[in-house]
Amino acid sequence: MKTSLSYRQSKARMGLLFTLPGLCFVTVYMIYPLITSFYYSFSDYNFVYSLRPKLNGIKNYIAAFKDPIFLLSMKNTFVFATFYFLIVMIFGLIVALLLFYYKGNSYLFKTMIFMPIVVPLSLASILFNWIFSENFGLLNYIIGSVFHLPQLTFGWLTHRSTAMVAIISVTIWSSVGFIAILFLAGLQSISTEILEAALIDGASTRRTIFSIILPNLHETYIIAGIWAILRGMKIYAPPMVMTGGAPGNATRVMYMHIYDNAFEYFEMGYASALGFILSIIVLFFSYLNMRLSTEKEG
Amino acid sequence: MGRKKLASHIILAIILTIISLSMVLPIVYSIVTSFKFETEIIGSTPSFFPRKATLVNYKYVLERRTTYLRYYYNSISTTFFSVIINTLLSTMMGYAFARLPFRGRDLMLGFILFIIAFPLAVLLIPIYIMEYELGLINTRLGLILPYVTTILPFSVFIMRGIFRSIPIELEQSAEIDGANVFQTWWKIMLPIGINGLSITIIYGFYNIWGEYILSKTLATASHAMPLSVGLILLRGEGWSYGILGAVIFLAILPPVIIFIIFQKQLVEGLTRGALKG
Repeated sequence: MKTSLSYRQSKARMGLLFTLPGLCFVTVYMIYPLITSFYYSFSDYNFVYSLRPKLNGIKNYIAAFKDPIFLLSMKNTFVFATFYFLIVMIFGLIVALLLFYYKGNSYLFKTMIFMPIVVPLSLASILFNWIFSENFGLLNYIIGSVFHLPQLTFGWLTHRSTAMVAIISVTIWSSVGFIAILFLAGLQSISTEILEAALIDGASTRRTIFSIILPNLHETYIIAGIWAILRGMKIYAPPMVMTGGAPGNATRVMYMHIYDNAFEYFEMGYASALGFILSIIVLFFSYLNMRLSTEKEG
Repeated sequence: MGRKKLASHIILAIILTIISLSMVLPIVYSIVTSFKFETEIIGSTPSFFPRKATLVNYKYVLERRTTYLRYYYNSISTTFFSVIINTLLSTMMGYAFARLPFRGRDLMLGFILFIIAFPLAVLLIPIYIMEYELGLINTRLGLILPYVTTILPFSVFIMRGIFRSIPIELEQSAEIDGANVFQTWWKIMLPIGINGLSITIIYGFYNIWGEYILSKTLATASHAMPLSVGLILLRGEGWSYGILGAVIFLAILPPVIIFIIFQKQLVEGLTRGALKG
């Protein structure tokens, strides 16, 4: 055998060499910005007026929790993320179960359900902006002309609660196919022996789903769940494109508030602090989801 | 029993048809509207399909060289180069993480996992300041470099999973035959991992074609904007819904074509990669 020491050394050397180019990108565009931003978050730094960042302790963080618009944007983000997470997970699971139990050729269904994920979210938002628009939108057209209920047509985007509904629906539309495919993969990895045993024992479909299939999907809950939480907390393009935070600040989300502070008011220090508050929340939820899902296992 | 089975089959088919149709309805709606005259769209008796089809909206879009066509060109060129670079880097890095143990490798992997959990919002500010000082704002390079970084970590995980699933015996026999590490990677592993490569390419393509927040921050001048940002800028200029439909159709055409070509690898591969990652 020629798997000698020198070969192993050359493997280690090549390993480093193969990693190096990618690592350069990660260092310059991820590690360096992360550290710098952390420093900014403890500094007074206006990109237009300040020559350089000046350390000011935790002032930015204190200011954040006294900023009523930031607190409102935090609340809006939570409302959005909660509804988005629940609906997309449940709906995605239902679609996956339907596809799983459908015995015909599901190729076309899968393609159509998955299709929206290829539409960029910002463009999907313009599309839905138009669908929800008061005068010539598809939704009001269906309600008014197809179902002949013109009294129910509505300015969806200009009212507080329905504007949020519109933003949630575009995000769900664009991602439920992905979640469904993840669940479908999870369903297909459940061993057929267990399912056949249940069938032989005469378990009903409903019992099979609730006592065998759902508990066996924990791995998928973690993957899909983290994905959905991160997407929910980091929502930006739909509210930006569809409402710009309006009406009032009813659809202003954290990401938007961070962006505006950084690139409208150039308060880089304060915006960095807001960014880290968002980061901590995102990291916390990822961790929580992982813990909960692994506990179910044992 | 047979009749009951048939009934449930039909019910499932109907429910799936309704869901599938409503998922593609918005896309279909924008396409049919793009072939309508403006008078018909805002007319008093709207209809779903055009009564009289026209290409006038497409003509309008394709004549706008400094806006629509420019955005289109920017999107295509930045996406193209980012995907190429990312594919190269992630196949190398993925192979190293799968099969080339070196000191600190697992620590590095864990650290990258940790860092991608941070929202882009927190990285955006230093990236903007850095590119501002280097004169990279509103340049193609200034978009390509951060684009690559956003898709690289997940691409590495996909490729790592693919390489790990290739039997180690294949690699060992290449070693015995006297191939060095580079040759083993290039001649044995890459050709076998070609399926994974296509997933990486598709994943990179979708994420960059639709990327919004980096593009919005780093391309502030109209000439440098990709589609996802430029189109939204034009929204305010009182465009008609027919033009909007045409623009959306043109913008989603490349991803939809790629989706149709790679549908099988995408649906199967993405889940496999994601589950193993």
